[in-house]
Amino acid sequence: MKTTRFRSGLLVAYGVLILAFLYLPLVSVGLASISKARYLSFPIRRYAYGWYEEAVTSDTVRDLLIISLKVAGLVTILSMVIGFFGALAFARYSWRFRKTYQKLILLPIFFPQTVLGLALLMWFNALDIVPSWKTAIVAHLVWIAPIATLIVSIRAFSFDAALEEAARDMGASQWQTLREVTIPLLMPGVTSAGLFAFLLSWGNFPLSLFTTGADSTLPEWLFAKMVSGYSPLVPTVGMLTVLTSAVLVLGALLLAWAIRRLRPTD
Amino acid sequence: MQRRERNLGLLYSAPLTIFLFLAFLAPICLVAAFSAMPEKVFSLTQMPDFSAYRTVLEQGYWKSVAWSLFMAFVATLILLVICWPLAFGMAKVFKRFTLVLTIGVVMTLFVSENIRLFGWVLTLMKGGLIEGYWRHWTGVGFDAPLYNGPIIVFGLVYVYLPFMLFPLAQGIAMVPDDARQSAYDLGATRWQILKEIDLPLAMPGIMVGSLLTFVLAAGAMAESKLLGGRAIITIADEVQTAFTYGQNWPLGSALAMVLIAIIGTVAIWAISKADLDKMMGRKA
Amino acid sequence: MTAKTPILRINALTKTFENFTALHGIDLNVDDGEFLAIVGPSGSGKTTLIRILVGMDEPTDGSVWLRDKRIDVVPANKRPTCMVFQSLALFPHRTVGQNIEFPLKLRGVAPAKRKERALELLDTLRLPRDYYSKRIQQCSGGEKQRVALARALAFDPEILFFDEPLSALDYRLRKTLEKELKDLHRRTGKTFIYITHSLEEAMVMSDRIAIMKAGHFEQIAPAEEIYARPKSRFVAEFMGEVNFFDLVNGTASDVTMSDSAGASLAGQTGTLTIRPESLRRLGEGDSADLSFEGVVEAEYLLGSRVQYRITLASGREMGVEVLRENAVPGGVGASLTVGCDLKAAHLIADAQSTEDTPNAAA
Repeated sequence: MKTTRFRSGLLVAYGVLILAFLYLPLVSVGLASISKARYLSFPIRRYAYGWYEEAVTSDTVRDLLIISLKVAGLVTILSMVIGFFGALAFARYSWRFRKTYQKLILLPIFFPQTVLGLALLMWFNALDIVPSWKTAIVAHLVWIAPIATLIVSIRAFSFDAALEEAARDMGASQWQTLREVTIPLLMPGVTSAGLFAFLLSWGNFPLSLFTTGADSTLPEWLFAKMVSGYSPLVPTVGMLTVLTSAVLVLGALLLAWAIRRLRPTD
Repeated sequence: MQRRERNLGLLYSAPLTIFLFLAFLAPICLVAAFSAMPEKVFSLTQMPDFSAYRTVLEQGYWKSVAWSLFMAFVATLILLVICWPLAFGMAKVFKRFTLVLTIGVVMTLFVSENIRLFGWVLTLMKGGLIEGYWRHWTGVGFDAPLYNGPIIVFGLVYVYLPFMLFPLAQGIAMVPDDARQSAYDLGATRWQILKEIDLPLAMPGIMVGSLLTFVLAAGAMAESKLLGGRAIITIADEVQTAFTYGQNWPLGSALAMVLIAIIGTVAIWAISKADLDKMMGRKA
Repeated sequence: MTAKTPILRINALTKTFENFTALHGIDLNVDDGEFLAIVGPSGSGKTTLIRILVGMDEPTDGSVWLRDKRIDVVPANKRPTCMVFQSLALFPHRTVGQNIEFPLKLRGVAPAKRKERALELLDTLRLPRDYYSKRIQQCSGGEKQRVALARALAFDPEILFFDEPLSALDYRLRKTLEKELKDLHRRTGKTFIYITHSLEEAMVMSDRIAIMKAGHFEQIAPAEEIYARPKSRFVAEFMGEVNFFDLVNGTASDVTMSDSAGASLAGQTGTLTIRPESLRRLGEGDSADLSFEGVVEAEYLLGSRVQYRITLASGREMGVEVLRENAVPGGVGASLTVGCDLKAAHLIADAQSTEDTPNAAA
C-alpha cells in the first residue's frame, strides 16, 4: 500500500498550510513593526524602521533586556546542572524511588503556570522574601528544570551502561568516570537542554508576571502594553525578542550541522 | 555496582527533588492551607472555615470551571482531527520535510504566547492584516471575528497545536508498517486500516497528546484575555482576579484548588499509566 | 597439562535476587594461564557470575580469591582484572588510540609512553598503525573487537574476562576471531575466562569448559571429556544431538546387546547415551556391541553426511548420522539395522538427571 505521489503531495501541502497558520500572526507583528504610522492599519502605506531605532536606544527596553537576559542566563546554567544529574537519576541508575521520582518531575510541566506563579508569590510572601528577578529564576526553574531533565534523559536513555562499567573496570574512580565518560557522552543532550531552557525562560510570561516583583521582563512589559492600548513599540520589541530566539535556534542548528559535517573527514 | 547505583540515583536526584519539594509542592500546600481560611485574610492564623469553597459554589464560579473544561475539550477534539493527517505524514510519509516541520513547529514554542496571540489580534482585527487587505482589494469590509467564545477555542487550538502534534506523530510512528501492509493485503480499505490498525496501535500517542492539550488548555488564560476580550472568563483568570483585584487570597486559593484537583486527577491518572522507561526507550 | 597454581578461587558463591537464586553456592578453581570457557543457556547464571567476578555485582554469600587476596570485597575499579564487554563498550567519543590508552591515562602514564604502548598493541592485534587516530565509528565489527581487546590488554590484567564478545558477529568473522583469540591467549600467557552460550565457540578456544545450568556447574572438564563422557543428560544434549536409552538392571528396550556388552552392563542402571554420528549401518552378518532395528522415517542431507530419523520397534525415534557413501539405499520407508561399539556409548550412572529432562530422547 504505497502512499501515492498525489497523496503525499497533498500531505506536504497540508503541512505547509499548518506552518503558514503557525507563522501568520508573526508576519502581522513583523509588518506592524515596520509600519510608519502611529496607529496601525492594514494595508500599510509607508514603511519605516524608526521604531527599531527607538526600541534599541530606549533605556526602558535596555533595562528589560538586561533583566530578561539575567533571568534566562541563570535559568539556563542551573537547568543544565540540575538536568544533567537529574537525568542520570531519571534514566541511568536503578534505585528505589526512581519511578516515583520520574512521575514527580512530570507534574510541574502539566501544572497551570498562572496558578504556579500565584502560589509561588504567596510562598515567597510567607517566607518574607521580596519578589524580584531572582525569585523569577526560582519560578522559571520549577517549570524548566524538569523539562531540561527530560531532554537530557532522552540522551541518557540511549547511552550504553556498559561504557561506565568498562571505565570503572579499568580502574576509573567515580570522578574520573564522570569526567571521562559520562559528561562527554551526555554533553549534546545537556547543550540542547540549555538551549531549550534559555528560550523557554526568555519567552515566558505567566510565571514572570507574579514573581518578578518590581522588576519586569520583556514579555511582561509587552503584555502590559498590549492590554493598555496599542503602542507602535509593542510589535517592534516583540519582533526583536522573536528574532533573538530565531537567531539562537538557527545558530544552534547550523552549529550542530557543521559539527556533523566536519567529523567524518578527520 | 548495584549498591553504587542505588546511592548514585538517590544522590543525583536530590537537587531536583529537594528543589521541587521546596518550590513546587510546598507552595501548593500553602495554597491548600489558605483555601481553608475565612475570606479576605492574609495569614494562616485564623480558624479554617472553608467559607471560600462555599463562595465558589454560590457565586457562579462553577460556570468558569465548566466553560474552561468545555473549551479545553472542544479544542482537544479539533486538534485531534487537525493534527492526525500531519502527524501521519511526519511519521510515515515525509522524509526531510519531517525535520523542517519539527523545527518550524518547535520554534513557535519559543516565542512568547502573548506575542503570537497579539499577532492574531493584528491579523484579525478591523483594519488588520486580513480585513485591511480584503477591504483594500474588494472595497467591502467586515467585522473582526474577535472577542467571542469561538475565537478563544481558536486561540487554544493555535497555541497548543505542538502539544498534540508531537505525541501523535510519536504514536503513529509506533504503528508497524508490516501491520498496515498486511491489513491492506488482506483486503482492508483505508478507512478499515485507520479504524482497525492505526487508531488502536497509536492509542498511547493519542492519549498522551489529548491529555496534554486538555490539561494545558484547561489552565489557560491568555487566549481569553487577548483574543476573546474576556467574552468568557476562564478559571485561571478568576484565580488571578481573586488574588490581585479581589485581594481575596482564600477565594483565589479555593478556586486554584478546584483547578488543581481537576488537572491533577487527569494528569496523575495519565502519568501513573505511563511507563516512561518504555516510552523513552530505556535499554535493559 | 602441567600442574599449575590456581590464580582464581571461587568459594561457595551465592547470589540471590528478590525472588530467585541466580547462583547456588558454586565453587571453581582456575589455573594460572588457563583458558576457561563458562558455557550455559541464557538464564543459567553465567552473566551474573562474571559480573560478580569483575566487581559489577556483589555476591550474597561466599568469597572470591585472586591468588591469596580476597577480592569480592574490592570495588571493580580496584581489581587487577578486566573484562571485554558483550557490547565492547568502546568509547564513541574517543579515537581508537585514545580508547586503547584509556587505562594507561587513568594510571597517569606519560602521553608519549601511552602512545608507544598503544601502537605496540595495534601491532599485537594486527591492526594497521594508522588506526591510532581513527574514530571508533569508522571501524568494522572485527576491528572494533580487536580495539576492545587491545584496550583490555593495555590494562594488563591478571585475568581477562570476556562476556560473549563475538555473539553479534556473523559466522565467518566469528570463526576467524575465535582462532585469533586462542592464538592471542597462547602468545600473552594470560588467564582468560570466557563466557558464551555457544559450546562450539568454547570447544575451539578453551582448555577447560565449565557447563552451567540453573546457577550451578554441571560439569567442569576439558572439551574431549565433556563430549565423550558427559556427566548428565543436560551436558550430553548441550553438546549436540544425542540418543538416550534408559538402562534398568543391565537391560534397555529397543537395544540388542552382544554377549560381551550384556556382560559388562549387567546389573547397571542409568542412561545410555549414543551420538548419532557414532552409529554405523550393519549389513547381513555384521555385528556390533549394541544394535538397533528400525524403519527410516525421514532423511536430511547435510553435505558430506546424511542424517536419518528412524523409528524403532517400540515406536520411539532415534537419530543416526552416516557418511554420504554409506547412505541407506531405500531412503524413507526402508528398514535398517544400526549399531555401535560399547566404548562409543556412554553410561550416565546418575539416575537423578533423568528427571530433569523427561523428554530428552532425540
